[in-house]
Amino acid sequence: MNNSSAWEFGTRQVVYGAIGAALYGVLSWVTNIFPLPAAGNVTFRPAVAVLIFFGVAYGPWVGLLAGFIGNTLGDALSGWGFYWNWSLGNGLMGLVAGLVMSQIKDFRAQGDIIKAVIYGLVGIAVGMLFASLTEMFVGGIDINTALVGYFVPAFIGNAIVTVVLLPILMIAFAAVASRRGR
Amino acid sequence: MLVTWKYRPRKTFIQSLDPRTRLIFFFAVILGLTIPEIWDYRIIFPLFALSLTLYFLARIEWKDVKRVWPYIFVLLFFIVGLNGLLSGRGGPSSVTNLPSPVVFTVPFKIPFTDIGWDVPITISKMWFAITQMLRMLTMAILAIPIPYTMDPNIYGTAFRQLGASDKFSFTMDLAFRFLPTFARDFSITMDAQRARGYEMEKLKGGITSRLRRLAPLIIPVVMQSTVTGEEVVDAMDLRAFGATQRTWVKADLRYGPRDYFMLGLAATIFIGCCVLKWGFGIGEYFVPEFFLNLFS
Repeated sequence: MNNSSAWEFGTRQVVYGAIGAALYGVLSWVTNIFPLPAAGNVTFRPAVAVLIFFGVAYGPWVGLLAGFIGNTLGDALSGWGFYWNWSLGNGLMGLVAGLVMSQIKDFRAQGDIIKAVIYGLVGIAVGMLFASLTEMFVGGIDINTALVGYFVPAFIGNAIVTVVLLPILMIAFAAVASRRGR
Repeated sequence: MLVTWKYRPRKTFIQSLDPRTRLIFFFAVILGLTIPEIWDYRIIFPLFALSLTLYFLARIEWKDVKRVWPYIFVLLFFIVGLNGLLSGRGGPSSVTNLPSPVVFTVPFKIPFTDIGWDVPITISKMWFAITQMLRMLTMAILAIPIPYTMDPNIYGTAFRQLGASDKFSFTMDLAFRFLPTFARDFSITMDAQRARGYEMEKLKGGITSRLRRLAPLIIPVVMQSTVTGEEVVDAMDLRAFGATQRTWVKADLRYGPRDYFMLGLAATIFIGCCVLKWGFGIGEYFVPEFFLNLFS
């Protein structure tokens, strides 16, 4: 289904990067009202599945742009301000998930869905670990708080969302893509 | 179909500013508060007063923002404020690490049993909740006027003139333009699903089943956006996007005296916050004497 190079940055990446960012921003804004327990300002975001999906479907650049800009927009709309490390962490989540793009042949195939979920989980681990550990320098927290108070709840929340919603998004996308012949 | 923010041209001080000035000022305040981690009410309160003044100078009609404010207040008081009050998290570790008198405790127990725990509400947590809300409101009221007072045609130009590449500027431009469209799509989808009997307020079961039941809201919006994307890609490719350097609308943006004044103020705020915190140690979280005296 995907013939383009994973690292290509053309019209498609610009448009879907923007669409992913806007969707992630809007859905994050809507769901920012569910803070994770014991996780400071970390919120439970079903929108993360959308970010991972955009990475998987359109590649690492789209994942990076959607995560970085989308998180910035969602936080700004909610009044959280701008936390560069969390925005970059979200960008990394999308980027790492996007590395699987060239390996996905059929969005309905069980094997491809499992591959996408695994890359998504690795992306979440990398992105949230980056954001949590840099919080030690930005927020002056200790490593225990960074790992237990931020990373673990953020990872678990995002992982659950991805495992549940990403397969549904991929199957729905396969139907839409086949109808449009792309 | 793209829908736009409720932008309207007005003869106000805010709208007479260059869009770049407004973006730089917005980020200067946010970065001034977040990079040196300012939690001192003596710095936050003046910035809040300044943000509020700029908000009123924008002269946005109440009918335009009457759906935004209730959401912000719910988020602010019931989510951020309550989270800060109960956990003391989301800010400096000194909120919970430093000893502070307990004012009352909130029992989180299974009814009719002793299973659970008591959450102590300290003076430090109470002051932190107030500071956190004020800090967030300061940043939120700077962001709210942007979509109502900045021409949607100018977002990309502003980023381009700030030095970003054509492609990145266009991504930002499109993202800003798509935001209200997807917010509208989400709202329409929610109404349509409700008309079919979907009850968002009655999402029952564990986390997994609740998430699955969110699918009827999320999937249609996401799938529609992928279809919209193909149309936009086709339209842009037909106009040879990326083949040559892009021409931007209103590409001759120029700073005026007002812009230099606001840029100077932005620089003063950002540098001032950094110097106060890192140079003089002012800006750390602390509970002021007058607040402590309220409980003595």
